[in-house]
Amino acid sequence: MEVDREDGRSQNQLRPLACSRNILHRAHGSASWSQGDTKVLAAVYGPKAGTKKNENPEKACIEVIWKPKTGQIGKPEKEYEMILERTLESICILTVNPNTTTSIIVQVVNDDGALLPSAINAACMALVDAGIPMKHLAVAICCCLAKSGYVILDPTKLEEQKMKAFAYLVFPNSVRSVLPEGSLRVEGEPIENGIITSVTHGIMSVADYFYCLERGRAASVKLSDFLRRNLQQQSTDSSKAG
Amino acid sequence: MENKQSSSPASFVDSTVVPGDVVLDLSSMTSQTIKLGGGLRQDCDAISAMKAGTLRFSKPNKYWIESSQKRYVPCVEDTILGIVVDSKADNFLIDIKGPAMGFLPVLAFEGGTRRNIPKFEVGTLLYLRVVKANFGMNPELSCTDASGKAAEFGPLKDGYMFETSTGLSRKLLSSPTCPVLEALGKKLSFEIAVGLNGRVWVNAASPDTIVVVANAIMNSESLSGAQQIIMVDHLLKNIQ
Repeated sequence: MEVDREDGRSQNQLRPLACSRNILHRAHGSASWSQGDTKVLAAVYGPKAGTKKNENPEKACIEVIWKPKTGQIGKPEKEYEMILERTLESICILTVNPNTTTSIIVQVVNDDGALLPSAINAACMALVDAGIPMKHLAVAICCCLAKSGYVILDPTKLEEQKMKAFAYLVFPNSVRSVLPEGSLRVEGEPIENGIITSVTHGIMSVADYFYCLERGRAASVKLSDFLRRNLQQQSTDSSKAG
Repeated sequence: MENKQSSSPASFVDSTVVPGDVVLDLSSMTSQTIKLGGGLRQDCDAISAMKAGTLRFSKPNKYWIESSQKRYVPCVEDTILGIVVDSKADNFLIDIKGPAMGFLPVLAFEGGTRRNIPKFEVGTLLYLRVVKANFGMNPELSCTDASGKAAEFGPLKDGYMFETSTGLSRKLLSSPTCPVLEALGKKLSFEIAVGLNGRVWVNAASPDTIVVVANAIMNSESLSGAQQIIMVDHLLKNIQ
């Protein structure tokens, strides 16, 4: 079904992506991620000795601080912090540096739709920049469901407000492997078919949700490729000293 | 995007890998001993990458991921620059830019006994060697080499210390000599100590020399050998 989006994109087209790493002088790892006009800056400090009071000292601890563009920190920011923390905890290998804390600070520079997925992508690239051991990368995407039933990806703020429901989906990145195809499967499915996080708002039927998952997964392959190219490029012209 | 699925590990060596990439398949390499360096982890029969970087291989059997970070992962027999943070009865607590504080035993000096324990103020810069770096424990450091001699280890007086990434420290310590150090050494005389944890200390007779050397090293990270020599010539022309 042909859909008219205001900026002329097709249903499954993402906005132009841009990512740069090692931009902050003092942070141990940093990245800025922009999807169209939405821009997020993430900084990673750590691992530093010591964990928070009630945390398990046999694992590393991840702490997220979300800083909105304007206004005071309230409940929506705390919710974003919790979602980011859980997502990043599941992709980092927490047993490598026990009894340490890694702090991730996310600063919203501009919000034009799909803010949480951009923040997750920025935080993941900042963790890679800081050299925190990870199991794989996280690739986040936003899918919206309109009243008339069609699904669009990567909405702008105006599009997001008009939608009936939307879902933020985070998938693992696609891995390159020397193993023959098929041996990296978990319970019969390749690793890329897994899902790390899913946050939904609004009402959608089960069939619509699965359709969103499918579209999201297809787009996550493109995002994985972008991440890989970005990491390859920046490693060949090695980053400037801090 | 092309699917790289060949069964020879040589396909990933010297190429950039991303966390999650499976770089070695152990089931096809039975009866071989393989040594894994930093950045790799073992998952049953598959070795996968934990960090993004370039996969390197050194004969006969060492694999590791080369990457440059601002923080340091302690390894045995590394020479590093640490800063004294506190002193306890048995150890000095040293900040080495890693996930945990390093412990420098009070007796780990040449001819060290309970009667002549050195007194280091908080903030003293020391050139040290990592003796033990075990998982979950604070790394143990020493101011002597393996045979117990002082060998240049110990406090560094005067001079100027600045921080770099671990990749740049490794380049500065590589042999043959790094082009920027060679170019600087031809015209200026200075003393330098490089810590593998991303700290460099420079000392010279006059402050201008120290500043020129420090700036040249900090600028040289993203330049190739020839570019480094040109950059150093440019800097030296401006001060003479």
